Amino acid sequence: MNIAVTGLGQVVLAPGERTIDPMQFLVARKTRKFMGVQDDLAVVAAARAVASAGLTAPLGERAGVFFAVGYIPFEETDMAPVLAGSIVDGQFSMRAFSEVGYQRAHPLLAFRCLPNMPVFHVSLNLGAQGPYIVAYPGPGQLYFALEQACAALEVGAIDVALVGGVAHQHNFLVEHHLARTDDPVRPDDARDAAGVLVLERASDAGARVRLRLESMSVEYRPFDPLHETPARRESFPVTAPPLAASMELGPATLPIALCEGHRTHRVETRDGLVCESTWSEP
Amino acid sequence: MRARVVITGMGVVSPLGNEVGTFVDALLAGRSGIRPITHFDASALPTRIAGESEIEPALLESSLGDRKIAFARYAAARAMEDAGARPRGKGSVVMGVGLELFAMEHLLRLRAPGFTMPVSLADRLSFLQTPSDLAVHLLSREHGLTAPPTCLVSACAAGTDALGHAFRLVATGRRDWALSGGSDSMINPLGAAGFAALSATSTRNDEPTRASRPFDRRRDGFVMGEGAGVLVLERLDDALARGARIHAEIVGYGSSLDAHGISEPHPEGRGAHLAMKRALDDAGVDTVDCINAHGTSTPKNDPVESLAIERLLGERARHVPVCATKSMIGHLISAAGAVEAIASIGCMQQGMVHPTINLDEPDPACRLDYVPHVARAHAHDTVLSASYGFGGHNAAIVLRRWPHAR
Repeated sequence: MNIAVTGLGQVVLAPGERTIDPMQFLVARKTRKFMGVQDDLAVVAAARAVASAGLTAPLGERAGVFFAVGYIPFEETDMAPVLAGSIVDGQFSMRAFSEVGYQRAHPLLAFRCLPNMPVFHVSLNLGAQGPYIVAYPGPGQLYFALEQACAALEVGAIDVALVGGVAHQHNFLVEHHLARTDDPVRPDDARDAAGVLVLERASDAGARVRLRLESMSVEYRPFDPLHETPARRESFPVTAPPLAASMELGPATLPIALCEGHRTHRVETRDGLVCESTWSEP
Repeated sequence: MRARVVITGMGVVSPLGNEVGTFVDALLAGRSGIRPITHFDASALPTRIAGESEIEPALLESSLGDRKIAFARYAAARAMEDAGARPRGKGSVVMGVGLELFAMEHLLRLRAPGFTMPVSLADRLSFLQTPSDLAVHLLSREHGLTAPPTCLVSACAAGTDALGHAFRLVATGRRDWALSGGSDSMINPLGAAGFAALSATSTRNDEPTRASRPFDRRRDGFVMGEGAGVLVLERLDDALARGARIHAEIVGYGSSLDAHGISEPHPEGRGAHLAMKRALDDAGVDTVDCINAHGTSTPKNDPVESLAIERLLGERARHVPVCATKSMIGHLISAAGAVEAIASIGCMQQGMVHPTINLDEPDPACRLDYVPHVARAHAHDTVLSASYGFGGHNAAIVLRRWPHAR
């Protein structure tokens, strides 16, 4: 394969760490108010990856952004005033919600949680105007983004691909989701994380090649999602703190594995996908 | 070497009916599917109208009560029936699916003392919110698609993106076939209130059928719709070999990022132009015979989209009919691109362009031929269908009539 990694970037928040400040990477400070945690993570990881590739923004029309984004995050504190304004006699009241409750929502709430917003903020701040993917929500979907990015590079549709995964998992809605599946995830095992790879054609990247993609495969076993949750297993023996082998990194897992020095990555996901890739150093 | 990809099955759930022929006939008749909201009591919200779709109660119940999942299952089943025998080889489900929005009543229960999680997995998954990606796994299992499925969430561009990516997968031989499209329903308290809070939706509540008015000077926002469009994509050679009825060929896909504003398009339509240009280049053509516009009826979209089309087609722009399906069914969000692709194919097959209704007085900044009020006979071989999403996601596909005349 003629696909090379020329840059890598990651962010993994430590337990209790609320977010990471992306301000130094923003082209316009006023956009900060629109950003949620997943946007902060994505922008910082992408900016680090682009810098490590020796590229500079704006990346232009021939740079694509191919992301997988974790489950939609909602902070309970954002919804509490809405709910409080929507209750009459202990019951939810549509009229109270319409007249009072919904108007208590932060006006920028939607901007801060929508899963397509990380790609927006990455494109804005790095000036990428090429094609894109916003896949959802697990680590297997990152492999779809990777597959399509490689295809676009190989046919010459683009010159640079930012392939990334991001997940904001420490919030009540995602924690609720992770806790309700079979094989549930303990909140302490989930991290808010982003990882981004800069991919280019190896033949174009020359001495900037950091890794080469040797192989990639994705298999799928259709399953009944209403009656089973496939087990999740990952060959990602991270040893350095704060990560551990059982850590739930959402779709950021592959880029972070590569950042951590691993050259083979295999994950069996809760949505029935078995994804594997191997990478080599020049 | 790229294989030719054709569409051999189509299924739709729309505010104008759940059968493709009925849906297209209603569009050609210029009927509106916009009505007062009945799903919940919207009487105190600023926007109280929408394009609601019907779905069988039993199917809704077996879909965890999640409308977008039920819509996807219904449209996929119809598309597979329409395709006849299942295409050969390994296929993927590639769908744009709307977001989970949680039920406020469930949030109240979750916070109540003594709350315990429901016992069965299905009950747990339907409590508070149902994961959107369930849809692609259900469709994979129900229709025997064994290649990896994908759930795309690029907002209003997701349906067109799904078709575009499915097209690429099949054309390059990485999948043998695909079941692709989009499904969405945001006609619920949080969805309706959320859009109202952004002042994005029309408040022309007293005239529901006249509320969605793309390119009209008096437009005041979009109207929510709900539904699904699902299409079967396979290689031309495979379709011919199995004697499948071919509806149309998909010949190009392009996408772009605006990299501009979070809630408004680039003022010169840079991203929209790039996506359409890339779709034409991908198709190997420099023009098309018709355009199914994104046409949301919002103050910001319509003039910028018109400008982008002018940039794309130059002198020819005013001679290419441009229609807006959303004038009749509202904005189906993640399903919009797929449903509008079906509309485009259905009209192209009949040599017609459906009207843009409610276009009484064009915005002076909208200077194209929008086919106002009444359908028009227009034999055409190619149509471009475009979708532009919140956050600057732009996507376009080019479809060609089958069999085509030129």
